[in-house]
Amino acid sequence: METPFTHAAFKPDAAFTGAAERFFELLKTFGMPGAAAAGADRDWSSLAGPLAGQFEQWLKSSQSAGPWFAAANPAAPGPGAGVGAAQAGSFGPLPLGAGAAPQQDAQRSWDLVARLAQLQGQLASHWGEIANTAARRFVARLGATAGGAPTLDNALKLYELWVNCAEESYAATVRKDDFCRLQAELANTSAALLVEQRRHAETLVRAFGLPSRNEVDALYAQLKDLRRQLAELTDAARAGGSGAQRPAVRPAGKGRRKRPRRPRA
Amino acid sequence: MRPFAPDAEAVFAELTVRIADTVARLREVQGVAVGCSAKRAVWSCGKTTLYQYLPLAQAPPRAGRRPVLVCFALVNRPYVLDLQPDRSLVRRLLEAGLAVYLIDWGDPDDADRCVDLDDYIERHLGGSVRHILGNHGGEALDVLGVCQGGVLSLCYTALHGKQVANLVTLTTPVDFHTPDNLLSKWVRGLDTELLMRSGNVPGEVLNGLFLSLSPFRLTQHKYVRLLSGNSDQRALEDFVRMERWIFDSPPQAALALAQFVRWFYQENRLARGTLRIGGRRVDLGEIRQPVLNLYALEDHIVPPDAAAAMQRYIGSADYTGCGIDTGHIGMYVSRKAAHEIPARIISWLQERQ
Repeated sequence: METPFTHAAFKPDAAFTGAAERFFELLKTFGMPGAAAAGADRDWSSLAGPLAGQFEQWLKSSQSAGPWFAAANPAAPGPGAGVGAAQAGSFGPLPLGAGAAPQQDAQRSWDLVARLAQLQGQLASHWGEIANTAARRFVARLGATAGGAPTLDNALKLYELWVNCAEESYAATVRKDDFCRLQAELANTSAALLVEQRRHAETLVRAFGLPSRNEVDALYAQLKDLRRQLAELTDAARAGGSGAQRPAVRPAGKGRRKRPRRPRA
Repeated sequence: MRPFAPDAEAVFAELTVRIADTVARLREVQGVAVGCSAKRAVWSCGKTTLYQYLPLAQAPPRAGRRPVLVCFALVNRPYVLDLQPDRSLVRRLLEAGLAVYLIDWGDPDDADRCVDLDDYIERHLGGSVRHILGNHGGEALDVLGVCQGGVLSLCYTALHGKQVANLVTLTTPVDFHTPDNLLSKWVRGLDTELLMRSGNVPGEVLNGLFLSLSPFRLTQHKYVRLLSGNSDQRALEDFVRMERWIFDSPPQAALALAQFVRWFYQENRLARGTLRIGGRRVDLGEIRQPVLNLYALEDHIVPPDAAAAMQRYIGSADYTGCGIDTGHIGMYVSRKAAHEIPARIISWLQERQ
């Protein structure tokens, strides 16, 4: 199933078609045989199960409720698949990762993959909770909105009610501390896996005598320091003309060289 | 009885026709143009480009007016402020005879992984300010900071107050720990060191994050609403322009994003007064110039409380805060905002020239 953010190049017609298809499915569910048993007392409870099932399936497949979580699926990351997941995906075809790494490194990667799978399982229970609450809410509020003349306007009103219930249930769950912690852990674990994969890749590029990411970053940091010094010297030279004091900038190449500082968040 | 009759064949037939019709119309308008005002690049630093909007023939810049620098967020493209002639804050400012500049942060690539907030604020934003002041003369300009760009503008103003005459902020969070801030709750437990080491973050990831704050409305409902039959061709074009903007987000430089998450979302340093940029403490109390703070009352990304908190921290005696009854994106493009917001900004600035 597709959601807009599973596409790198967004196509509004495709996103619209996907949403319209799901609207169509929803209407069919509203009119499914199970619901017919509700009778004149307007007890729509038999709808809750099918609605929740349909909704939960969408939540799981689209992972729309958490792009960061999708990173937790290292087998199929996409452009919208969470922090770093797109890059992780690009490692797929290379002979890298757990299979190509030394035994100890491989074990670390597999541990991370296993942890991700575990967290995904925990996430699924949240999707289930959201789906069931939304369906129950919807059934409880159907009241006068349901059973009217079968017009497109009425269908859209039902849909509006359904979306309200879905958003409310979603909001109630995703604000909980355990959900927030889970989300953070998923993002962190997937980032750790990506960093681990990069580490394997660095081992490989070093074997071919190629510069590694860390080395390029260190060069960049040096360059940045040099630019900063140059700017300060330039300012000092300008200010020198007006008699201002020179800043304490050490000329390049003299004295003890300072190791470039590793950037920190 | 059923909530919706399964044998309502006429409805399903109508729905099928409307879906096909809407798809065809969406495809027709898919190539609709975005951005409407002429501009030229006047300065650059790294991937950042400073643009100057060309004055309108019917409204040349008025003498003695300070230029306005628009500082947009790093996480979105700034063309939303100039989307189309009738939805363009930039156009309204030009029509008021103001000289308008805009910072486009560009697309950071792997060479920019270590670009940090100090770079963005001091070198890119500061460089833009210095370039404009060098060009126009005068000691100060007016700054219009939008969303995250408003945060950067607040930092710059606090550090270089003499260069900013008036500050306007739009949907700008100051207190990142208000209870209604879902985004803040979600990122509170992120390991920013890991985030930084895992590299630049693709724009699609942040898009997904923002959409997932309200996934059913933002990824389903808004499309289904097109079936209501009220969408004429122009409305559909407006819709596609917005879609294009929403899904056209630049990647984020790893270090700057990690710093932003940690310093602002996790540690709330701006509000707590513990933020340091370039070795200097950012004290919002140093902001003594007039401030106009506009925020959305239905904002799901920057809750109104997060933005309204600004008044408690800045040192300005001339503060005007105003909540607008719309959502985050509505602040830039809704019909209501298209009139109300530029009018407020222009009259507020005119009173302080």
